[in-house]
Amino acid sequence: MLGWTFLLRPCGLFPDSRLGGARERAQAGAIRAICNVCEIFGDQAAYQLMERRKTAGEMSAAELAEMLSQVQAGNADAWGDLYRQYAAAIFRFCRRALPTREDAEDATTEVFMKVRQKLGTYDSSRPFTAWLYKVASNHCWDMLRRRRIRQDLETGDLETLPLEHPDPDQLERLQTEHTNKEVRNGLAKLPDRARMALVLRYYADMSYDEIADTLGVRRAFVGVLLLRARHQLRDVLGTGMTGARGAAAESK
Amino acid sequence: MNHFDEMTALMYLEGQLDHERAQEVSAHAGACGPCRELLRALQSEDLWLRQALTIDEEAIPARLLEPPERASASWGWITALGLSAAGAYTLWTGFVEWQAQAAQAGFTQNNLLTMLFFSGAFWKGWDAMRNLMEFLAAGSLVAVVSWLLRRHWRRLTTVAAVMGVLLFALAAPQRAGAAETKKGDPNFTLPSGEVVHTDLFVVADRTEIDGEIDGDLVVWSREVIVNGHVKGDVLCGAETLRMNGTVDGNMRTFVKSLDITGTVAKNVMTWSGETDLENKGSIGGSLTLGSNDASLAGKIEKDVMAMAHTLDLTGTLGQDATLRADTLNIGSSAEIKGHVKCECKREPVIAPGAKLAGGIERGIQRTIPAETPRYERARFYWHRILLWGVGFVFGLVVLLLIPNFYADATAACKKYAPAAGFGLLFLFATPIAAIIACCTIVGLGVGIATLLLYFIAMYASTIWVSGWLGEALLGPRPGLGPAIGRLALGLFILHVLRILPYVGGWILFVVMFWGFGAMVLAIYKRLRPQLATTPAPAIS
Repeated sequence: MLGWTFLLRPCGLFPDSRLGGARERAQAGAIRAICNVCEIFGDQAAYQLMERRKTAGEMSAAELAEMLSQVQAGNADAWGDLYRQYAAAIFRFCRRALPTREDAEDATTEVFMKVRQKLGTYDSSRPFTAWLYKVASNHCWDMLRRRRIRQDLETGDLETLPLEHPDPDQLERLQTEHTNKEVRNGLAKLPDRARMALVLRYYADMSYDEIADTLGVRRAFVGVLLLRARHQLRDVLGTGMTGARGAAAESK
Repeated sequence: MNHFDEMTALMYLEGQLDHERAQEVSAHAGACGPCRELLRALQSEDLWLRQALTIDEEAIPARLLEPPERASASWGWITALGLSAAGAYTLWTGFVEWQAQAAQAGFTQNNLLTMLFFSGAFWKGWDAMRNLMEFLAAGSLVAVVSWLLRRHWRRLTTVAAVMGVLLFALAAPQRAGAAETKKGDPNFTLPSGEVVHTDLFVVADRTEIDGEIDGDLVVWSREVIVNGHVKGDVLCGAETLRMNGTVDGNMRTFVKSLDITGTVAKNVMTWSGETDLENKGSIGGSLTLGSNDASLAGKIEKDVMAMAHTLDLTGTLGQDATLRADTLNIGSSAEIKGHVKCECKREPVIAPGAKLAGGIERGIQRTIPAETPRYERARFYWHRILLWGVGFVFGLVVLLLIPNFYADATAACKKYAPAAGFGLLFLFATPIAAIIACCTIVGLGVGIATLLLYFIAMYASTIWVSGWLGEALLGPRPGLGPAIGRLALGLFILHVLRILPYVGGWILFVVMFWGFGAMVLAIYKRLRPQLATTPAPAIS
């Protein structure tokens, strides 16, 4: 897996590993785990320094830079290595962003062809994986846009959001009742934009700016989009936790 | 501070609030149980989502294990390109050489297209032309089906299939036989005494055939003179054609000026500005003529069918004549052994010495037999399937190229009254406007272009209605696949309805103006997006 792998390390407040959230982020080169809930309560380990978990074979920045320069110089072996290093992650990204497995396979191939063409435009001061995900997300979104037959809700519908609190108990029950696979299946049933927003944020770990740029929406709208997508996913998974409020929002 | 909403909670967790606001939220959450629970629930949902998205049990497909060698192209496009190439090659080798010679032959584009159509059809006959159309239509269907099924094919299989189709298409015309191709520099002359044992294709500024050709002669030139002997047929596109020699086969020409002083053993078909069959000239078969001015002084053994502005007939006709002309002169030396039917604007001038054995019948209206579907023949159904296929391919192209417009036009079909009203209005008003444009200062070009677009739009009307019909039957499931399915089903049903006796024509008419109106509404929506949500007023 490339990028930051978030770790389910128990923190003081939620010792249950499932709920004990600590998410890695890269900030100015330092890797910190931030648990906002811990931060609020000032409990122990509000910030925990965590090690970055490396996937097998993941290379250092210097190795990557060397490999990229070789690829740009036309070295086929280097290109093969680069491809094998990242193909799985990009395929998984495409698999979540696009509705079918076949689409994801095609998209993965096409993304790498684009990567090869556009490698010269990569700014080495930014993380390579972020750039790679940007290329992939642009490609997937273009694919979806090209084939979409008016299936997304309009922006106006998205701005009508429920303002009340969801029921935390029901939300928790929803999380315990569904497997990862069921969540991913539910994700596939969402409208393109909602699914894409969730994937960009929670799989590719993109910033709000990057999501806004990819999806062509205002930055301020990204949060609305994400919250709405979460609601849609909850509805798809059949919780009914949003109850009448969710139904009312849908009917608007 | 009051309870914060879910949006604020999410923004807080996502680190999107400014510092001051985040402090407020933090302070409130510290003191408020429900809000703290909300934060906790959303935070755990965040983790839950990340976990579900990140952890993966799905294996990577084998074909992605190694990097692609080159850009993966769409098989649909490859096949379509291959088919286009095959079609072009078929036209080139099997029918006429038409493209590169346009400038030398001095034809404008319109003439070239007409020439391609008529000479292609008349050269090998309508059957061949129909076969070509069928080949292209069937090939397109195969291409589309291959494209739709490409997911399930192994790559090599697909490559093999495409290459097989291409090879077949390329090999088929080559069986037609060998031919010699000559390009003038700029002129071409086949000297007297020289024999060409195959077909001869000539492209030149000036072509002179003094020798002998065992096969057919296909020639594109500014000026053509045939003094020699052609044992096959002659197909000619030229400014001037003088036929002084002998042709054992048929002669098909598209020329500005045709002059026959020699002998054509079989039939002559010509589209020309001036046609002159001189005294010495003779035609062993029938003559089919479309000309501005025509003079027939020679001998024609069989029927004559002629359309001309001015027609002078002073020669001998072995059988019947069907003549349409503004001015018809039958000279005193004329001898017509069969019956003459003529339709003239002016009273025909018949010299006293003219011999009309079968008499003359005036004012015959040319009637086109009504096309009745031959329900009992399999070929009829094959043609309907082909027509469906052509419509489907057209619809597919529209769907892929302009999906939003397709969706708009299909959705506009649901506005029954406005669509029908605008459809009727534009269906009748557009050709009238185009004809007015043709006749006025606006110009012929604009008028003809409008008419062409009009016909395309009429054809496309069935596409929108098919989309609507499919949606009504299958439901509005999003995505490309279901949209294609809806289109295919809708088109199929419309085609079945259209072959119903008596009502089929009316159904087609209704579909046409309804779809036309839907398209007008969709265009209107694009031009005036701010009014899109306001339903257009119904025309009563």
